[in-house]
Amino acid sequence: MSNTILTCQKLCAAVGDKPILHDIDLSIGQGEVHVLLGPNGAGKSTLGHVLMGDPTYDMTGGSIEFDGQDITELPPNKRSLAGMFLSFQAPVEIPGVPLRSFLRAMVEAHGVQMKNKQFKQRVQELAQQLDMDPAYLDRELGVGFSGGEKKKVEMLQLLLLQPKLAILDETDSGLDVDALSVVSRGMELYRRDCGGTLLIITHNTRILERLAVDCAHVMVSGRLVDTGDAALIDLIDAQGFERYETQLEQA
Amino acid sequence: MSGKDSAVERASAMPAATWHFLRMNDTTIEIPQGLEVAPDLQLSGAADKRVQTDEFDNMMAVAQARWELVNPAPTAQEIAEREAYRAAEADATYGGTARSNYQAAADEMEEARSLAVAFKQGMGEQASAFLRESAGERVLVKAERKQKVDAQVVVRGAAGVVNTAAIDVVAGRGSEVELHVLVDSPDGAPAGDASVGVAGTTIRVIAADDARVRIVRTQTLDDGLIDMDDMGLLAGVRAQIDVKQTVLGGSKTFTGLAADLRGDQASLEVQTHYLGHGTQAHDFNYVVRHHGTRSQCKLDANGVLAGTSRKTLRGTIDLIRGCKGSQGRESETVLLVDEGVRNKTVPVILCNEDDVAGDHGATIGHIREEQLFYLASRGFSQESAESMFVAAALEQAAIEAPDELTQAAVLRVGERVVPGFAALFDEEA
Repeated sequence: MSNTILTCQKLCAAVGDKPILHDIDLSIGQGEVHVLLGPNGAGKSTLGHVLMGDPTYDMTGGSIEFDGQDITELPPNKRSLAGMFLSFQAPVEIPGVPLRSFLRAMVEAHGVQMKNKQFKQRVQELAQQLDMDPAYLDRELGVGFSGGEKKKVEMLQLLLLQPKLAILDETDSGLDVDALSVVSRGMELYRRDCGGTLLIITHNTRILERLAVDCAHVMVSGRLVDTGDAALIDLIDAQGFERYETQLEQA
Repeated sequence: MSGKDSAVERASAMPAATWHFLRMNDTTIEIPQGLEVAPDLQLSGAADKRVQTDEFDNMMAVAQARWELVNPAPTAQEIAEREAYRAAEADATYGGTARSNYQAAADEMEEARSLAVAFKQGMGEQASAFLRESAGERVLVKAERKQKVDAQVVVRGAAGVVNTAAIDVVAGRGSEVELHVLVDSPDGAPAGDASVGVAGTTIRVIAADDARVRIVRTQTLDDGLIDMDDMGLLAGVRAQIDVKQTVLGGSKTFTGLAADLRGDQASLEVQTHYLGHGTQAHDFNYVVRHHGTRSQCKLDANGVLAGTSRKTLRGTIDLIRGCKGSQGRESETVLLVDEGVRNKTVPVILCNEDDVAGDHGATIGHIREEQLFYLASRGFSQESAESMFVAAALEQAAIEAPDELTQAAVLRVGERVVPGFAALFDEEA
């Protein structure tokens, strides 16, 4: 067993009075690839956002430990600086901020020392690897970008920061085959370049074809109801989530 | 200039006034006492300094003659019918239409059938006169028929002085003119918020049929200086005028632009970029009058307000009777980075013609919560996020600077606002 990078114990979260996550226990080893599956509305994205510290949600119970540090009370920017990354399902637009300026400020916020020339070369190189038109670098972040381009920008940030843990929240949703392949390539590069840890939230098992998955989790109605190895993914593919939903209803 | 402070009253006035209590109809420019009028310009390219020039007036006379050819004066009968209609309207006890002062003045201007009378400067006559008189000699940028010319005018602002330029741009038929104006204070000004100097330009542009004129004005003054940017534009048939204004420095800035799209298919595009930081106050006034059929204008303002800066923008598009098929659009994006900023905007579309389109769109607001979370998830604190917005506005200005001199000026003001900014453009840094 590798060193544990993330541990959640009895994690509960709510929006206002409405509980969403119930007693989530999750442990992810350094360098592992975990997949979180579940039907729509199960709370998968909520878990990703709560791990990152999204103030939209109230963490009503439990604890989160990341890289040996209790981050339960840590604000999201400190979690990012500690090495956690969340790729958004719907990345926001930031008008008035060119992508290149944003990337540079992000790198600086992380205390990475890079000469301008080096930064430009690195960003250019990553854009090329992700089949991204370099013209996008001078455009305002996300403004007028297609869904595919937005996801490529998320991948570019992932590769630039090389965090210890990347939570990919349905990064594959709404993408065509080509864009899907680019996202897969991004994940492979992340794994290859820094041996990073992945928690992939997805509906689409196609994105997992080129990855060696260590562990799969199933979430239904805000609860983790099953955990297994990669074989669980095939099982879900064949049988869906119905049996879990039935079990929960009967419990 | 010496003695008491003087003031330019009712500068940059909206043609059709709104409620007085909003305090947006116009602005007052306080000129500090004891300033020395000291023109200090650097000219290059086709910019030519002249003691007297009547090129602009001559071109205006030509434009008047050409316009009258296709716009004959109304007959006596048409005038009589118009007057009778107005009298009936005024007499109607109920349901009659009372003409506002603006309408009466606008009608009078149209009936004068004079391009020179209709030609206005954006900051108003008093401000224009102040800028003209301070400038002394005029700078002429002239392009003969189908000629292509470039010119640059640098106005150096400094503490204790009034330094202004009066520039005439005369673009002959089918010609192309590119004018870069930099209003900078390379020698710096004393720190502090007191306004201790004035720099500015008053620019008149006449673009004959099929001419293309592009003006890029960048202002990078130090704190304590006042900037006055006054423009008046006249566009002939199919003439195209593009104006890009970047306002970064100064303590108080005043920008006024008035345009007469006189020719059919004349077009105007104005892009305004500004950054408000510290205690800066920016004032913008745009007035575009569509006379020609199928004429088009697009006013687009983008800004970031930080610190306790203030900004007021008045944008009036006037679709005058007869400008069939014309389109006017004004849009604005303002990002309010700090709680202490104040933003005021009055978009006005005046319409006296059926077959036209005029619209306005604005996105004004603070950084949204989802944007803040996104930035936080990338390691930004609230302070570093705010700083990024300010730096991004400066960076965009530096990237889009039309020449090296302007870029250096933007880097200088950038370095003052965001320490370390200039290093972003140093490959080896």
